[in-house]
Amino acid sequence: MGDEKTELIGFREEIANVQAAIADFESGKKLNIAIIAEPFAGRTAIANEIEKINAQKVTRLNLLCPVKNREEIALQGQSKRIVIIDNCHFLYMRKVGGFEIIEELLKLIENPDTMFITTWNLYSWKYLDEVIKIGKFFPVQINLPKLTADQIKESILSGYDKNEIKFLQDVGFENEKIIDFAKYQVMIKPLNKTINIPYLKISYDRLKVRLSRKKKVVAIEDLIFEKIKHISNGNPGVAGVIWQKSLEYPVIKPGNVKELSFNIDLDYDESFILGIILSMDSIGKRELAEIEGFEYQIDEIIFRLLKQGLIVMEDNNCRINPEALGSIVEFLKRSRLVW
Amino acid sequence: MADDNIFKVLEFDATTILDSIIVLILAYILVRVLSFILVKVSERVNRYRFSVKMMLPVLKFSIYGIALYHISGNILNLSPNQLLAISGLIGAGIGFGLKDLFADVIGGIVITLEKPYQVGDKIKIGEYYGEVSDIGIRATKLVTPEDNLVFAPNFMVFTQPVSNANAGGHELLAVIDLYIDSDSDAASAMKILKEAMITSKYVYVSKKRPYTVLLKDYPFYRRLRGKAYVNDLRYEFEFQSDVTRRAWDEFSRKGISAPKVNIMEAGTSGSGEIQ
Repeated sequence: MGDEKTELIGFREEIANVQAAIADFESGKKLNIAIIAEPFAGRTAIANEIEKINAQKVTRLNLLCPVKNREEIALQGQSKRIVIIDNCHFLYMRKVGGFEIIEELLKLIENPDTMFITTWNLYSWKYLDEVIKIGKFFPVQINLPKLTADQIKESILSGYDKNEIKFLQDVGFENEKIIDFAKYQVMIKPLNKTINIPYLKISYDRLKVRLSRKKKVVAIEDLIFEKIKHISNGNPGVAGVIWQKSLEYPVIKPGNVKELSFNIDLDYDESFILGIILSMDSIGKRELAEIEGFEYQIDEIIFRLLKQGLIVMEDNNCRINPEALGSIVEFLKRSRLVW
Repeated sequence: MADDNIFKVLEFDATTILDSIIVLILAYILVRVLSFILVKVSERVNRYRFSVKMMLPVLKFSIYGIALYHISGNILNLSPNQLLAISGLIGAGIGFGLKDLFADVIGGIVITLEKPYQVGDKIKIGEYYGEVSDIGIRATKLVTPEDNLVFAPNFMVFTQPVSNANAGGHELLAVIDLYIDSDSDAASAMKILKEAMITSKYVYVSKKRPYTVLLKDYPFYRRLRGKAYVNDLRYEFEFQSDVTRRAWDEFSRKGISAPKVNIMEAGTSGSGEIQ
């Protein structure tokens, strides 16, 4: 039902900015555009929308894996003056000789008669901006914003009929304490023992309900989408995955929306490969081996990443597990492997 | 009367001595435990590793200082005259041979306050180069690239220049020299070295941490010098090795060769001596 509408929710201002840049181009002022966002944040949805709005004016290039041949981005024969290139982070590989294709793109975009609208993975963009100053070639840079709880609600529920989904309170929710003792398990590796450390657990659901009672009654569905927004950090793709996992069709309860905690334990090589997967959205084992340099290590590294639930394999390509995105980004930033 | 008080210094009973020893042992245990916790915490919060480790020497000097103050004030109950007498004894001790130990302790205090280097820094002091793993009361522990543990006396900070490669930062500027034949394509070689650096898993590049590649011509060869910051100074040598390996792999593919041995040929022609 609401796919077209869904793609627009939360990004209206960004699309308006792109349309303004297109209008400037048509009046003689060329500005190339970079749309930048982290994985699952809706880059392709925006590209689709821009293509739909400007169907008569644009041609589109969809990149689905790392580009190895410069002919793949050749634009001979196309007559339209606006070019959309989706997933431009596939134009480079982090290895010696891995910048040839992106250098080709930078030559192409010097053409004053063609406007380029490109989408980029946030972490690839930050890397490329530091090492080859890619930002200089794209005067209009649009960073996709995080969605609010209301926008996530609007986006997700647009795929259902009115009253199709039933939002129910958890059994025993009323008896749940706002602050209670819980036990945190810590593994002591040298002793091979697990100890329980008591800590104070705060029930944010109960707290929110208690605080809001003085002003207004919080609807259960608002509570659920607030929780989904908190866990997904406003990332629409991640929010969608959490929704699907929490939904017991047609019922959803706040207690089903659970925040998964990933205790990431990786060495430097594994962390680096995880950073590459995060920066590329999707990448095959062969490409990872080319980047790492030692083919024999890659199987072992991928096994470790899969075992910890940090990545998933889709069509022989490694992708970040959407639920682990927040933990991965935090871990890699702490290790200074993404900037 | 004053003389009596002075001589009372020597009248410590067994309990007093035992109490003093217990306080010193407790201070030592506290220092060890807190150091262990701080080091563990610093490794968990990688980004703030140096900020946490910076507290180590301050903590040590504070704990030992408080322990000594407690012993002299509360256990030994020393009067000003007694303190004076002890100071005299310490002075004599320093004169007779504890001079170096005293200089080390003062050096430790200066290092703690002035911070010419901190735990985690890569420094060169005197003939020693390595990562500072601990700043103690008497000596600074350095781990050398060969993984040897060197105890550099703290007084060296007064007598030797200290070269600090990172000054509290995570990153460290690494220099990589590669030598190629004069006939090889220098521009292509520079591009390869640049890409080997910026794609290394150990590199860190930002506006404040830029990279450069320089070329210098010598009579029989060319030197390429790459400079870039390593993400974590602990990986300095891994970074150099990684860049060198990948650059030479690509040099081989592109036909860029190492200098020929004509230095020897030129040097030995005629006279048979190297010129």
